[in-house]
Amino acid sequence: MAAPNPAIVQLQKKVRQTIVDLGATPTGCHVGGSLSVADILIAAFISSDREQGDEVVLSKGHAAAGLYAVMHHMDMLPEDPAVGYGRRGSILTGHPNHKIPGIRFSTGSLGHGVAYAVGWALARKLKGDRRRGLVVAGDGELQEGLCWEAFQLASAQRLGNFVVVIDRNGGQNDGAVDDISPLENLDKRFESFGFRVETLDGHDIDALSARIVAHDLTGDRPLAIIAETVKGKGIPAIENNPACHYVVLKPAMAQKWKESMA
Amino acid sequence: MSLAGRVAYREELTRLAHQHPEIVCLEADLGGAKHPFQEAFPDRFYNLGIAEAAAVDCATAIALNGYTPFFSTFAPFAVLRSAESIKLSLAYMGANIKVVAPYAGVAGGWFGTTHHCLEDFAVIRSFPGIRILAPYGEEETREMVRLMVGTPGPFYMRLGRNGAYASLDGERDSHGIVWQGGSDQGVCLVSAGEMGTVAVLAAREQRGDLAHAHLCMLDQPALEIAAQAIAARCHTVLVVEEHRPMGGIGSALALLMPDCRVHSFNCGEKWPNSGGSHEEVLESLGFSTAALLEKIDTLTAAMA
Repeated sequence: MAAPNPAIVQLQKKVRQTIVDLGATPTGCHVGGSLSVADILIAAFISSDREQGDEVVLSKGHAAAGLYAVMHHMDMLPEDPAVGYGRRGSILTGHPNHKIPGIRFSTGSLGHGVAYAVGWALARKLKGDRRRGLVVAGDGELQEGLCWEAFQLASAQRLGNFVVVIDRNGGQNDGAVDDISPLENLDKRFESFGFRVETLDGHDIDALSARIVAHDLTGDRPLAIIAETVKGKGIPAIENNPACHYVVLKPAMAQKWKESMA
Repeated sequence: MSLAGRVAYREELTRLAHQHPEIVCLEADLGGAKHPFQEAFPDRFYNLGIAEAAAVDCATAIALNGYTPFFSTFAPFAVLRSAESIKLSLAYMGANIKVVAPYAGVAGGWFGTTHHCLEDFAVIRSFPGIRILAPYGEEETREMVRLMVGTPGPFYMRLGRNGAYASLDGERDSHGIVWQGGSDQGVCLVSAGEMGTVAVLAAREQRGDLAHAHLCMLDQPALEIAAQAIAARCHTVLVVEEHRPMGGIGSALALLMPDCRVHSFNCGEKWPNSGGSHEEVLESLGFSTAALLEKIDTLTAAMA
């Protein structure tokens, strides 16, 4: 494996610091899932040209803090999200909304983002340019039937320009996905729906980007990337701890967590 | 000869699509095997399968890419299966989606409760920002399709099943209200939707020239205008609608017309769970010409 790109490493670190800062706001945030999805979002944005018609949708909208942090450090959101997040009058709500410049779809009610991205791919196929509709979904989110309605549609409409990346961190609100409603043979489930499937390290931005870019958008088969991730990634105190799903941090603890980052 | 509303919708949309390349027609497997839009514009027609919520969500992205998606399926599925998608996409995000819903009320007749929808006004009206249409007859349906094509923004249009009616003659004011005759001193009948209008016309044949205001625009801003216009002419109002009392047009107008007496003739709270034609199922719910006449007579007597 090639040495990590220093600029990407720096970006990852800044994003994680901002997510911790968001956890230390008065409302707190979904820290665990934001930390698990951050690298996927970075890879998704690196791989996409939204001005040319690609679209990236965060369907697991409860990871808004991760999205805001990534957008901020990738120059899509000028303000530091930790300043206004969750506060009275701020558009930076706990789940992303379409009033925020750069975000087209309000997400957070799970499953809808998947269908928005399928619709995006369908519309771009109709336009004839086959730009990409890419959605980042949670593994717990796949318990929503709407996801599978939408996957079925992507396959039926032969949307090679639809890509779903699953943030497989193994956790959900009340505990472990495996204990609540497991997703055994997830790769085979997608294969049986007609998808090309790849399982990757969800924190390897280069590998994720390379796979997204390499996918044949003009083909008939959508792409599912199962991104194996760690809930709470980057903060040793909470990695893989289901209790980090939603956190309200005291400033001193936030500082400690940031200092503990590699 | 008149066409049923759902047939008129398909024909008018297909006709308009010649001049409007932005129109995209979406169905959820209940548009019929030989949909005229599909035959004329196969590239812009999608049967998305039996996946109503996903269809509305897909329509959102299609609309954001500059198209005008029309999504149609039976009212119980369009409204209730897709309720959250309609809330988020049409109402909150304001997407330029037109939802067209035949089989509203109990138009499905013998199909049973699963295929009826006596709740659509209540559900859709509770989401701000969606224009609501309930045309009566072929011509008014075509007119409302033209309105939707020419007006950006979200719409919900309720239709029946196979009833083929000639749209009303009469004075149509600038807000789309059709006024028919009547003395302004008596009960004013306000019809909303297809069978509400059918019932009012039948009652007017029996009880002479009662005042009649036919409404085909039923969202809150439209009803605010209608309420003012009706209140300027009448004091006692009977709203006739194929809907439950809860969240219906009668309850909306009652709040908007505090100085008037607003009554409602509707489908009540029973479940439409027996067989029969559309009219017979309505009758099982107490929605019949005879029952309406009785209600009118009671109100008229109380006014004397």
